[in-house]
Amino acid sequence: MPISRQMLRPVGGGFIFMSFICAMLINLLPWQVTSVNFAPDFVALLIIYWTLNQPRRFGIAWAFTLGLLMDVADGNLLGQHALAYSIIAYLTLSRQRQIAVFPFWQQALITLALLLLAQSIMLLIHLLMGAQFIGWSYFAGSLLAAFLWPPLSNLMIMYQRKDVPDEL
Amino acid sequence: MAFCRIPGANMQATQPTFFKQGPKPLTRVLIFSTLSVALLVGDAYYQMLARVREQISVLLYPLQWVATAPVNAALEASSFLQRQTELIAENRQLNDERLLAQGQAMRLKALEAENAHLRALKQASEHQPRQSQLSKILYNGRDPFGAKLVVDLGERAGVKEGQIALDASGVVGQVVRVQPMTSEVRLISDRGHMVPVMVERNQLRTVVYGSGRQNLLEVRNMPPNADIKAGDVLITSGIDGIYPPGLPVAVVSKVERTAGSAFARIQCKPLAGIDQHRFLLLMNPPATLPPYPETSPTPKPKGH
Repeated sequence: MPISRQMLRPVGGGFIFMSFICAMLINLLPWQVTSVNFAPDFVALLIIYWTLNQPRRFGIAWAFTLGLLMDVADGNLLGQHALAYSIIAYLTLSRQRQIAVFPFWQQALITLALLLLAQSIMLLIHLLMGAQFIGWSYFAGSLLAAFLWPPLSNLMIMYQRKDVPDEL
Repeated sequence: MAFCRIPGANMQATQPTFFKQGPKPLTRVLIFSTLSVALLVGDAYYQMLARVREQISVLLYPLQWVATAPVNAALEASSFLQRQTELIAENRQLNDERLLAQGQAMRLKALEAENAHLRALKQASEHQPRQSQLSKILYNGRDPFGAKLVVDLGERAGVKEGQIALDASGVVGQVVRVQPMTSEVRLISDRGHMVPVMVERNQLRTVVYGSGRQNLLEVRNMPPNADIKAGDVLITSGIDGIYPPGLPVAVVSKVERTAGSAFARIQCKPLAGIDQHRFLLLMNPPATLPPYPETSPTPKPKGH
């Protein structure tokens, strides 16, 4: 059931912050070279999640900041994640009211499209800088991330669902 | 930023929330995209953002440490639980080896003294033993386009750009970016990374190129009749002033000499376990080379 039809208690800024700390931790784990393509980008996933569900508190500015952090952590060109994250945050925001009422599996499809777009942007930047295409397995992580969308969404709203109706 | 600009509760009370979105997302995304592109260009072409990067990396260091700590703890725990008998056997074996090594060390000392004497005579500095530091690999760069490692020593530990990274069996790469707590090592398999080498068997000088993380190294621009064959070991030649001479780099795995092409296709396998270890040795670059003689033509481009 989509989040917008349920009675939920408000999310604190601290919870959003902690969720990003966790996402960063997962992204910074020492992945093996062979599996690095399959590692879903949890920061991107959470950016979509919070833009979708808390558009007032979380927006493009935060997406940009997190992108910068990811760039430095990975030793990439400064700005590639920032650009990709800003754009997916914007696209989510522009259709937020529609997407927020979709069931989770449809949201997962949209997430897949957004994550692929983010990766394509980064790929494009690298190609413009003179790198060579590194094969389609580059996009595998997004596929995995899209599969993780429904469980992730359920997990996140479990926190919000607690003991709300009693007070009404 | 978004936190302070849009006080959520206030707005809900005064306005129908349906129409209100704050500043237009389109203008915001345009601003941030422009900023990103400016950063990209600034970083790629002018390298002027080193300070920004340093600040952010200090911020990130605790996270990096926490992310790698459990893995390290698990590895340490498993090694702690090694079986006693194994340790005893190993201990005995090591004792034997130590005796042997001591004997060799005595000879080495004599040689070293002799060497120092000769060096003083020759006044050459390039073979001086160099300072080196042991550093731990924090993680692989996630970026699949390049081959980079992040290690746990940085500016504060005295790491400098241009230091080379080794493991027990050969050259791993070169420090390309130093941050206060961490630094980035570019692996020799990174695309376009060049190492000046020579064939150990016949001292034939050439350059070995990286061609992407999972790919083999390549020796380009060698004529088909060059004396190089599978199994040859390539060692650094030391003529670039970055890599000291004599370090093993790669072993030639395949040589293809096609009739049509001007160059032989030579593939090599790096000797160092580029993807395997957790520790690397960072070694200082050689002392500055004497300048080129003034009469010489334009200097050759150096490998990096």
